[in-house]
Amino acid sequence: MKKIVALLLAVVMLLGLCACGSTSEKNEDTKAPEQTAANDASIETEKEAAPDTITVLAPPVMNDYANYVRTAAEEYVKTHPNITVEVIETTWADHQDKMTTMCLAGEAPDISYSETGWLGTYVEMGVGVDLKEYMDADMLADYDEGTLSYTTLDDTLYAVPLYISIQALGGNKAMLEEAGVDVEKVQSQGWSYDEFLEAIKNGTKDGTWGFVFANQGITTADFVNIFGGVAGLTGSFSDELKYAYTSENMLNLLKVMEEITSSGYMPNYTVAAGERLVMLQKGETMVTGKAMPLFETNCRTSTAAVQNGTAEEGFIEMEYVFLPMPTLDGVKANCYGGGGLLVPFRNANTTDEHLKNVVEFYHYLSSGQCAADVCDAVMLPALCESGRKAQENSELVQSEGNAIASAYCTSILVAPPTGITAEQSANAETILNEVIVPKMEALIAGEATAEEVYKIICDEAFALFGEENCETGLIG
Amino acid sequence: MASGLYSQYLDKPALRYLRNGVLCLLLGLLGLVVLFPLIYMFCWSFGPNAELASSAYSIFPKVWSLDSYKGFFDFSEYSLRWILNSLIVASGTVVLNVIFAGLAGYAFAKINFKGRKWLFFLILMGMMIPYQVTQVPLYILFVNKFHMTNTYTALILPGCCTAYNIFLAKQFFGGIPTALIENAKVEGAGQLRIFCSIILPLSKTVMAVTAITTFMGNWNTFFWPFLITSDASMYTIQVGLKTFAYANGTLFSPMMAGAVISALPMFILFFALQKYFLEGVTIGAVKG
Amino acid sequence: MRKEKAPRTLAKKQFRFTAEDGTGYLFILFAMVIFAIFTVYPLVSAVITSFQKYKPVGSEWIALENYKATLKNALFWKAMRNTVIYTVITVPVSQLIAFGIAIMIMPFQKKTQTVFKAIYYIPAVASGIALSVVWQWIYSSSPSGLANQIMTFFGLPTQNWLASSKTAMLSLILMVFLSSQGQNIIIYIAALMGIDNSYFEAAEIDGANFIEKVIYIVWPLCKPTTLFLLVTGVINSFQVFVNAYMMTGGGPDNNTTMIGLLIFNNAFKYGKYGLACAQAVLLTIVIAALTALQFKLNGDDVEY
Repeated sequence: MKKIVALLLAVVMLLGLCACGSTSEKNEDTKAPEQTAANDASIETEKEAAPDTITVLAPPVMNDYANYVRTAAEEYVKTHPNITVEVIETTWADHQDKMTTMCLAGEAPDISYSETGWLGTYVEMGVGVDLKEYMDADMLADYDEGTLSYTTLDDTLYAVPLYISIQALGGNKAMLEEAGVDVEKVQSQGWSYDEFLEAIKNGTKDGTWGFVFANQGITTADFVNIFGGVAGLTGSFSDELKYAYTSENMLNLLKVMEEITSSGYMPNYTVAAGERLVMLQKGETMVTGKAMPLFETNCRTSTAAVQNGTAEEGFIEMEYVFLPMPTLDGVKANCYGGGGLLVPFRNANTTDEHLKNVVEFYHYLSSGQCAADVCDAVMLPALCESGRKAQENSELVQSEGNAIASAYCTSILVAPPTGITAEQSANAETILNEVIVPKMEALIAGEATAEEVYKIICDEAFALFGEENCETGLIG
Repeated sequence: MASGLYSQYLDKPALRYLRNGVLCLLLGLLGLVVLFPLIYMFCWSFGPNAELASSAYSIFPKVWSLDSYKGFFDFSEYSLRWILNSLIVASGTVVLNVIFAGLAGYAFAKINFKGRKWLFFLILMGMMIPYQVTQVPLYILFVNKFHMTNTYTALILPGCCTAYNIFLAKQFFGGIPTALIENAKVEGAGQLRIFCSIILPLSKTVMAVTAITTFMGNWNTFFWPFLITSDASMYTIQVGLKTFAYANGTLFSPMMAGAVISALPMFILFFALQKYFLEGVTIGAVKG
Repeated sequence: MRKEKAPRTLAKKQFRFTAEDGTGYLFILFAMVIFAIFTVYPLVSAVITSFQKYKPVGSEWIALENYKATLKNALFWKAMRNTVIYTVITVPVSQLIAFGIAIMIMPFQKKTQTVFKAIYYIPAVASGIALSVVWQWIYSSSPSGLANQIMTFFGLPTQNWLASSKTAMLSLILMVFLSSQGQNIIIYIAALMGIDNSYFEAAEIDGANFIEKVIYIVWPLCKPTTLFLLVTGVINSFQVFVNAYMMTGGGPDNNTTMIGLLIFNNAFKYGKYGLACAQAVLLTIVIAALTALQFKLNGDDVEY
């Protein structure tokens, strides 16, 4: 009896399992073919022009970038009928999580967006592609030689920059002029820290701050990367390839941060990244950071909304001016460039043939019209000959002053030194997130002094890189 | 009933009303505090369909409109599909959990098979490992071995028979008198008959509880669906909602509208099953 | 649970395991298959990875290096400390709050009870992602932030809620108190319902007042419930991750970096997956030990 029952039960369970199995098959029918096709393709690529699928992981680099890539791919496929492009859309908040998971799982996307700072982590994982090995010399020649150091680690070129975002300050023109600032002069020649301090002092009034710098959570890193320029800190490593954030410049930066947070010209509470632009648009602050030339578009839109009466309460008419970073005495004028780039990846069994296909499509996305469109959207010059040519046709709605300021900032960009290793780069990223940012948060909250923070940063960096590999004096 | 706890003023209605009034007021105030974020969420779902920074801190939006609900559905061609996907995934997970976690829980509680304790302990250990490190092997499994990205199967399968539900079911079945089962055995009934004729009729509550908690847990899961879906048409609602937050601002009101819409099935389910639900959650604890 | 012992001796007497064993295995077959594939396999894989410098291509076997690095890492200990603080405060206090509210709900009619139960349960229904955005607004540091407006209303100084190491952890904890009591309250209510009236009648004869009834009758009789909530609460609390991830990113000065967040960052931000696995294994051991300890200290009123 019991045996019969057991048998019956077994049948029931099996039926249950089969039911599950069949539903999964049904689902696979609708979705999975592309996936399997991709795998077959990578095996079959030895044949000539065998079908091949390229996956692209795309965050919103510009509005609706994923669909932009899809459309661009349709165009591309016309001349490369064997290629299929699959675009995976991500959001800014989760892009890196997904990218890392895919890489760790050995299923790295063929092409993904990355920032220069992250690159080391992925190269360390072993998913980077030596671009020079797969890209034709004439393709490579299209890109500006000078910008390639942003994407070179261990003396190997792993990607080409799509754009280098000049990140500095932005302000309300009328308010700045009222505070006695010669806006045109600042936009074309830069300014000193003292002039800046004087300006934000004059600009601070009832209901208006002189200066607001987004500083909540991870945006605190901008204080080092972008505001660091004030003290001449332009990157994690000096020209001698020593760690730069232990130099006296860092101490100077920390002191400047201490001064302006306690000055009363800047809010003594934290401001989220999303708030700073709105504060500028509402006239609640005269200068804000970090800011990009691109904010001009946002301000134009909000001003237009005020004029036709559709704006939310509190917004005002204003003219946005992009401003270079001020510098302390003796510091050479400089600007931080945040490299945004697409990066090709490889997996354990990736074939050379597949990589060639990937790199060719990669070149298509990183140059010419594709590069021009992205650069137009972020109001930056393209970094390759073909891209600049394509940009000639596009109309940039940019004020003359902002164009001058952009050009000035671009001219004082400081590219990272060549010869940084992937390990150094990955370590710098870790210490930035685990030590420097947290300690700066404490400094901003008024819970630590500049000297204390500086000492901790030095201790940790000495332990990580070795004291002989860290700068200690003044650099730059 | 434990009404004996409050037996003091049974003969003094005035005092009793006063006491209950005070308690009611206290509970109401506390409830208001607890509900506040939700009220806020609800009110702002009628706010403007635009990116807002948090300078609009007031509790109520200045102008009330349905724009954001429209905005939510216009945001992506798949907005409605996300909810549908969540419904499919959550329902599938619920059905599998109710059946198979129930069976396993019953076996662990009432069938004496060798290695029972060991196997159960193993299952409990499964609750203790942080999910962060299991995601990568799971991802490898589904993408590399099963080729199942963007499938409902991949969304449902990893959670289709959870340790928590097995534990819950075991605690419940443990509370059913063994004599009931023994009597049936003496009368010659097999385990399957026992399960169908004695156990099942008694398990409505535990089934309802499993159903609701699983449904809710699944409805709110973000990370796994985010990893395993790459096609916007296969997003679940939580993955979709996340796309409303940009780097320089958030489509606040449409996001809240989405949250309200996505909470609706939960509200309906809550009130439909609350009779079983509110009694039932306790099973694991009390009967233990 | 003790009742179970009866059939076991019965089975032993018969010395015929096969049929019963077979049915048992059949019943748990699906669960075990799923468990093996989706829990055991990742678990084993994580343990193996914890001994490696993991790379998707060509991992290196480095024995205990990840463990050594973890134990030497100051941030790991700080995260452990934060997690312990968070657990020690949230779990017991949450339970006390839930217990208190459950007792307060008791004297009402069924309908009124249902209304209150629903009110306290509903926050669990809302999307966690949307809720955390709302809470970020509430905790905005600017004077016009809601929490700060409340402070101003009561004549208190405004706070830098999530950005000051004095208040960041507190803010997270407050958020937990206000948004996740429902399940606990309902479990306690049912436990209270289950207490037989005769206990109270006997106590009244002895002249016990309300407070004495709570202390000497209600609390001891709720012990199994309390233990259950404690055990599951501690397991959850030690793995907590989303709050810190969404609200503070671990800051300021790593004061809200929980062990779950640290593991997440190591795995997904820095690509140090081997290290993350080592930390996860250590965390699992800690949780298992704590769970065992709780059962030992409380006797075995609740099995497992």
